[in-house]
Amino acid sequence: MPREKYKDKADGLYKQVDTYNLVENLETCLACGKCVGNCPVASLSPSYNPRQIISDVLNGDAERWLNSEEIWRCFWCAGCATVCPNDIQFPLLMMQLRYRAVEHNYGLKYIMPFKRFALRAREDGLTFAPSEKGREKIKRYRSNLGATPWPEISDRAKAEYKELFDLTGATEYLNNTSDEAEKPVILKYTEGRIISD
Amino acid sequence: MTEQRVVSPEELFPEVPASIFLFRSCTGSMEYPGTENAIKEVMNKLGVNIVMDPDQTCCSGYLLTCSAHKPEVSLAVTARNLAIVEKQNLDTYVFCNGCYGYNRELSHIMKHNPAYMQMANDVIAKQGYKYEGKTEIHHVQELWYRLKDEIASKVVNPLQGLKVGVHYGCHYLAQQYHILDDGGYPTFHEEIIEAIGGTPVFYKERQLCCGYSVGRGITHKEVMVQPHLYKKFKSAKEAGVELITTCCPGCNVGLDREQPNLTKRYEEEFNIPVIDISQLIGIALGVPLKKLGFEANTVPLNGIINRLGLERGESSL
Repeated sequence: MPREKYKDKADGLYKQVDTYNLVENLETCLACGKCVGNCPVASLSPSYNPRQIISDVLNGDAERWLNSEEIWRCFWCAGCATVCPNDIQFPLLMMQLRYRAVEHNYGLKYIMPFKRFALRAREDGLTFAPSEKGREKIKRYRSNLGATPWPEISDRAKAEYKELFDLTGATEYLNNTSDEAEKPVILKYTEGRIISD
Repeated sequence: MTEQRVVSPEELFPEVPASIFLFRSCTGSMEYPGTENAIKEVMNKLGVNIVMDPDQTCCSGYLLTCSAHKPEVSLAVTARNLAIVEKQNLDTYVFCNGCYGYNRELSHIMKHNPAYMQMANDVIAKQGYKYEGKTEIHHVQELWYRLKDEIASKVVNPLQGLKVGVHYGCHYLAQQYHILDDGGYPTFHEEIIEAIGGTPVFYKERQLCCGYSVGRGITHKEVMVQPHLYKKFKSAKEAGVELITTCCPGCNVGLDREQPNLTKRYEEEFNIPVIDISQLIGIALGVPLKKLGFEANTVPLNGIINRLGLERGESSL
């Protein structure tokens, strides 16, 4: 009997997820499970299962992951990609699964803190530059080292960094990000063994 | 698939470069500025000239992978930063695994997808830049490994068997090609530790992620990150680790800043200081302690300093 192919029933979901064409070899997944075995998140929270998620994407089953809490737990450590025998870049799939979830107003609470960081980074040319009070501590530590009080970043760098956000649509995207229409996410892959705290 | 995965340091650097472009890390220049300074001090002792450029910006990768924005801006930022390096005919040396992974990954995407290269170049052309994909992206630690014997010959404060548990950080090992060691079971940090007189400890969870975890330390701290880190520190403590080294200031945040919270939640003391491997090399090569910036650390290094007999002279914290 010929092996059933994912694309027989996938209804194009895979391409709707991978809009950036960054994970073009997803269909070569052997379902070997090495990714799951090397995943620190799966070891604590087994309902997060990269192999299952790949299978659901290839099968056209968006119901499972789209409003799931699980996709927001990935640490992005890329342990899955490190061990994948077929070099599947699962983190690049995860990135796009989250974009799709956000488009449907799921998981907004998990990106809102980073909207704030990103809008600030856009001004500073640096990520995580703290508020004024925190800056004093950085300046003191750096001065004690004999370094310039603030990282040597030019006004030109800051202006051009900011401009790149504007030119690529990132500023607009960030300004439009809001959690007003937030819909709840839930643990969807409940067949996993959940370890209680 | 035909590209070589693991390369020897001699293949990676047939010649030790006279000058390198050091890519500024946001975390490494603000949260733990001692990491950046340690690299400058050690490179100076090894006779490698460091070039930095104030026009270089953040790599923007962290916010990309936190889903704050789409990839276009990060592709353009990467192209712009690397174009600045290329103009100086240098290779790029990164000391944050985040910057390393993002620069490598995003430049790989551009080099293998002409449409993305075009898109990024169209944007940065408006600012007068052009990225050609010439500059190689290395991690600073690769150069430490290449110069291991020279480092060993310059040791003035041998580590006296200090039990060091290393932390490689995921985003170096996750690179599939042209890295120094087998991502599954690397040992090159341990070899460096041995070369400067320390005793490397292979604790069970040494390859477990730092828990900085690209934003999950903010969104999922209680539910995921703390239980995860507890596992890591428990295994390090059981193996007798006295000090953890990282090669990424982001990992340092995850491992150092969170320890008091773990102690509070799990009612267990760890008190394992976490520093960059470059800072430890700095100690061994006699860089004055105040140049290494340990005052930024949450878990203090006093025990280590005393243990190594460095408390006197100009070596005060």
